[in-house]
Amino acid sequence: MDFISVTFIGFVIILSCIYFIVPDKVKWCVLLAGSYIFYMASSVKALCFLIITTIVTFVCGRILGSINERQKKYLDEHKGELSRDQKKEIKFRTLKKKKWVVAAAVLINLGLLIFLKYFNFIGGNINTLFGHMGIGERVPQLNLLLPLGISFYTLQSIAYIVDLYRGKCQADRNIFKFSLFMSFFPQIVQGPIARYDHLAHQLYEPHKFNYDRVTQGAQLILWGFMKKLILADRIAVPVNLVFDDPGSYQGFVLFFAAAGYGLQVYADFSGGMDVARGVAQILGIELAVNFERPYFACSISEFWRRWHITLGGWMRDYIFYPLSLSKAFANLGKRTRKIFGNYVGKKLPTFLSMFIVFLLVGVWHGSSWKYVAYGVWNGVIIVSSILLDPYYEKFLKKCKVNTECFSWKFFQMVRTFVLSSFGRFFSRGISCMIAVDMIKRTIMHPNPWVFFDGSFLELGLEYKDYYIIFLFILVLLVVGIMQEKGVRIREKIAEQNLYFRWILYIGAVVVMLVYGSYGPGYSVGEFIYQQF
Amino acid sequence: MKEELMSILTDLRPDVDFENEKKLIDDGVLDSFDIVSLVSELNSEFDIEINVMDLEPDNFNTVEAMLELIVKMQEE
Repeated sequence: MDFISVTFIGFVIILSCIYFIVPDKVKWCVLLAGSYIFYMASSVKALCFLIITTIVTFVCGRILGSINERQKKYLDEHKGELSRDQKKEIKFRTLKKKKWVVAAAVLINLGLLIFLKYFNFIGGNINTLFGHMGIGERVPQLNLLLPLGISFYTLQSIAYIVDLYRGKCQADRNIFKFSLFMSFFPQIVQGPIARYDHLAHQLYEPHKFNYDRVTQGAQLILWGFMKKLILADRIAVPVNLVFDDPGSYQGFVLFFAAAGYGLQVYADFSGGMDVARGVAQILGIELAVNFERPYFACSISEFWRRWHITLGGWMRDYIFYPLSLSKAFANLGKRTRKIFGNYVGKKLPTFLSMFIVFLLVGVWHGSSWKYVAYGVWNGVIIVSSILLDPYYEKFLKKCKVNTECFSWKFFQMVRTFVLSSFGRFFSRGISCMIAVDMIKRTIMHPNPWVFFDGSFLELGLEYKDYYIIFLFILVLLVVGIMQEKGVRIREKIAEQNLYFRWILYIGAVVVMLVYGSYGPGYSVGEFIYQQF
Repeated sequence: MKEELMSILTDLRPDVDFENEKKLIDDGVLDSFDIVSLVSELNSEFDIEINVMDLEPDNFNTVEAMLELIVKMQEE
């Protein structure tokens, strides 16, 4: 069941009505039934994988929970009798036990993800290697099914298990309630990746009908639909044309396609998030924010703090911190200090962890070398920008550049936009080598006249489409600036009188219906992140 | 102890008003790079072992919270 469909709107309306009508005690059951109906309507076969991950995570969670409880009880009972060293020893032994449970859960859940998503990729590469060695193809290519949302719910399950290991939350005692946490329908398709302590209690508690909340949720859904239909699906036309036949284009047309793809993904993914958050809000549930105006970022690292925030947060808490604060990395830092000096030695564990994080972010997007290159591209930019920062600062001071004025911030934003757009060659290009070739031809053959000679009109869109794209980007910009300044737009709308509000709502619906990408040659594309 | 902590913090981020900032993590004043550097410095300066389990926003939002964490780690 696609988010952008009449079926989905009907489904949400019916589910919401039932949710608000039934007694408080069974409200969560409605959400669970709705989530499983939604999942089965999208993919019946994949349901077993979701159930396996749910059961494994629940059982391992219960084991971790009981270990935590036993330790707490023992320490409470022997409070005055234990020395510091004895307490440390008990905690150490408990952690050791818990590590085995975490390892089992992660191995099964992540193993499923790796097998289904990466088996053919890894097998293909091994076969290529064998081919070079004259051994021949040994690893079969399997016809594997990639369950809907597996990349999202697997990370969610690992976060739950690790949080239990760290003693940050209590283990869930009800497998049906826990199944709801794992499958909540607005966020299972493409996130946001939820944390147990933030989402679970919201799902289990009953929520009453609230007019303001429902209208605000509906506004968010409408805004998401507009982003997807007016901008993402429209700009996808030239982007697909160029990326499907990159050899026919060069210079600014290629750059336009890459930058356009960035905007497409932004409108598509953040639009999908708006729909997800809007639906949840109608039901009284606040999902985590996944985007904070990434194109206002002044550096690539800031861009990633504003883009797909829940994935970034997951990587920070479960990969970056554990790696960079690990004893192995600390020792590495100490050793390299002797060779490269204090500055590099100190920073090396952080750099290495960051690089690994970006490699994983790249690979998480898909099983192809181009995604590895995408991760490397971002990792190299971030690490080199930190390494070169002292020299950069010196240079700016020497040239007496005012770094506090708007023009400097604007320059930084444009620079970030250009760098992130070049990265898109990897994530959207057919292959890694083609992406490199496209970058080469973008830089080597710039032709500024393409902006005036009608080249862009040969990319499947007419003048009026470009006007619509331009105007919608302008709207996004104004909305973004207002949000940056702390204006809560939906609350402001709610303060206006009834007539104005309804003119605005109806106007937005009409704009979406009239200017959305419909008609011959167009079709509503599925959400990009749905494929991940 | 506070002077030593302030010296580490101002060395790390001279641009931040640590005395008055009350949401260093929640408002994104300190990023993950800062946190890793800060934890390494605190561990070696105060001979403690702050690990990944202690990386809660509440432990790093204010100078006072950091001091509390250091004292707690020294006592453990």
